Amino acid sequence: MPTYKLSYFDLRGRGELARLVFKAAQRDFEDDRVQREDWPTLKASTPFGQMPVLDVDGKKLAQSNTISRFLAREFNLAGKDSFEQAQCDQYLELVEDMFKEFAKAFFEKDEEKKKEINKNLSEVVFPKFLGLFEKALEANGGSFLVGNSLSLADLGVYNGFDTPLQQNPKMMDSYPKLKALRSRIEGMPTIGDYLKNRKVSDI
Amino acid sequence: CTDFSNHSPLLKIATMPSYKLYYFDVRGRGELIRYVFLAAGKEFDDIRFTSEVWKEHKPKAPYGQAPFLEIDGKPLAQSNTIARYLAREFGLAGKDSWEQAKIDELLDLSEDMFKEVGKPIFEKDEEKKKELLKNLTDVVYPKFVQLFEKSLTANGGKFFVGNELTLGDLAVYCAFDTPLKSSPNLMDDCPNLKAQRSMVEGLPKLAAYLKTRKDSHI
Repeated sequence: MPTYKLSYFDLRGRGELARLVFKAAQRDFEDDRVQREDWPTLKASTPFGQMPVLDVDGKKLAQSNTISRFLAREFNLAGKDSFEQAQCDQYLELVEDMFKEFAKAFFEKDEEKKKEINKNLSEVVFPKFLGLFEKALEANGGSFLVGNSLSLADLGVYNGFDTPLQQNPKMMDSYPKLKALRSRIEGMPTIGDYLKNRKVSDI
Repeated sequence: CTDFSNHSPLLKIATMPSYKLYYFDVRGRGELIRYVFLAAGKEFDDIRFTSEVWKEHKPKAPYGQAPFLEIDGKPLAQSNTIARYLAREFGLAGKDSWEQAKIDELLDLSEDMFKEVGKPIFEKDEEKKKELLKNLTDVVYPKFVQLFEKSLTANGGKFFVGNELTLGDLAVYCAFDTPLKSSPNLMDDCPNLKAQRSMVEGLPKLAAYLKTRKDSHI
């Protein structure tokens, strides 16, 4: 069995999806949470000067979605064949598209522009993606996004809505299948405990 | 002509799927997919359209966007998803899961650079646009060109992953198509990256396409 170490800051951000994959697969890993003051020294040892970084028996892998995809393949959470793997990828990329819009609000400093962006998020962007994922669940039988069991797609969508839901806890209320998927994940062993007890972070 | 459809499953396996790529008549988010088909020597229907004609195809797109690919009629969306899937189908995805991940790293890194490249293109304010373009040439391109050179050199200098051409090589090649138009010298301090680019351009299956391809802004 390989030894895994995931290095990232002590928040959800770009590291959380990989952590969720480990938890969903019930696999051990060193959850190396790096403090801000220690990051500058560590930076040079990373492949591209960023985190998260996954260390697998001494070999390093960078880029959050690359890491999540690799782990999903290792732990049979990437669909049953190449086409299902592609479907998982599709959902990760859709979440990424949603995240790009969400990030605009986060980085905008001008208060007026920020208000506009947030309005667009709640009236256009989130309904669009919520609707898209709800419809996808319906089309796939209602329980999971890809195939008949939990996959990286479900974890990616779960993770993608963590911060938006923190800011607006009611945003999923009209999307029963998405809501049910969230509850289903929260009720699964190991990952359920992790989600219940993990500390809150802004992002 | 005899109908073999009820005969040996081996005959079914031998049939190639039909591929239809739907995208605008520019490089943009479709070009990497085209490179994969060409490099692998696989046939595909390269459906290109204007914004007007897009309205007709849009209802078929899984999430209302292009590019999308139809594989024997089954749709797949998202440019990098499509490129990864085809690379796996055509043996351009590395020899194992780790190599596949090393290739993914390059696609994700290219995506990081692409996000920056897009900013001045979409910026309407002329002053801000100038600033963003300057930032691209002075900060962003040098940063990424060094990261890619380092990665390539660490793998021996010829191919980005393993010992042969993979999606990784095509993705990095594609990522610099637009930047090199405005900054033709950006690879001058990166001998391996420059040589890798010539190598990709020289591939017989790509060379003819690249020579006759019409110019596009993005």
